Amino acid sequence: MPNPVQRKAGIVACSGEELAEGTVTRLAALKVLHELRPANTVTICLPLFLAGGEGDRAFARFHPTITVDGCELRCAARGTEMYSGKPAASIVVNELAEKRGVGKIEGRRCLNEAGKQAVDVTAQRLAELVDQFVGKGETSERATESVPVTNEAKVAACSCESGVSVTELLIAGETVELLALPLVFRHCQEEKLALEDAGEYLVQNVKIHNYVPPEAEASYREAILREYGAFCARKESR
Amino acid sequence: MNSTKVPVIPCSGIGKSLGSVTREAAYELCDTLRPDRTQLVALSKLVLGEEQARERVRSGLSVTIDGCKQMCAAKLVKHSGGKIAREVAVFEVFRRYKELKPEGIAELNAAGKQLAGALAEEIAAYIDEISEGGSHA
Repeated sequence: MPNPVQRKAGIVACSGEELAEGTVTRLAALKVLHELRPANTVTICLPLFLAGGEGDRAFARFHPTITVDGCELRCAARGTEMYSGKPAASIVVNELAEKRGVGKIEGRRCLNEAGKQAVDVTAQRLAELVDQFVGKGETSERATESVPVTNEAKVAACSCESGVSVTELLIAGETVELLALPLVFRHCQEEKLALEDAGEYLVQNVKIHNYVPPEAEASYREAILREYGAFCARKESR
Repeated sequence: MNSTKVPVIPCSGIGKSLGSVTREAAYELCDTLRPDRTQLVALSKLVLGEEQARERVRSGLSVTIDGCKQMCAAKLVKHSGGKIAREVAVFEVFRRYKELKPEGIAELNAAGKQLAGALAEEIAAYIDEISEGGSHA
């Protein structure tokens, strides 16, 4: 069986501007994204769940998502669940900091020493959770690929560059939204599978990111293969 | 809470430097330049629909500061039933200060901080105008 499409963990920070703990969430998320697990993580700005499009709201359905909040309001965890999908795990900075014996966090604009320590503690915990959900240390080209933009798929255009493609397909007379179809197609092409052999690979990988009703699997396979054929033809014509 | 304070809402952008500029500008404005006339409101609370935060943006005219074209802060204030005195888009402001190219996200470079400072000064002047009965509102 060819390799499945690599998944990345999503990290959503509350970034709460009013509290020093909000600054901790932001800096801890950035530390994981840029230093600790750059190949295995992506992020999205929390407000995009409301202000963005379908591709943004699909984020937590596509990525196993870890939320990190500064306080017990848990805006990131609850907002993600309300508008995108249930987070795979959640961290609350002030609870974690207390548990780890970190002192009083202060300085929303410029963190004090306890705040900096809280950033490290939170980032480490985030990295552990990332490893738990998507594995550790994958640094191949495949793991660092982003979701491709196609004419057919709607994606986010935010500065966090985290949009998930959403493609509409007509399946058995009904319009169905599928996540990450261009990504699955691109990986299928890289596997160099002949069109007649691609059906099983495509369906299995589409199932990673979408629910495929068992009774409708044959219809999904037919529609996905048809779309894949069109995708390949478009690539060849460029 | 002083209800006469102008709510200031930066965008929380975490992907690029311009998002960090919005945050830095909001802190410069609310903590240093006009602490008596402004109040920072966390955008995440508006995402959640937290009632106190919604009330704050409904109680008067707000200033929003956004880092990208999605304009999350402006959209969320409107979504919460608030009205906006001034929608600031940092990428537009940057066009007027091209020598101040922001870099870094977790830690903004000096140019980014200067851009944030210039932006905060502009908003402070605007807030003075509307607070003193100017015609912008």
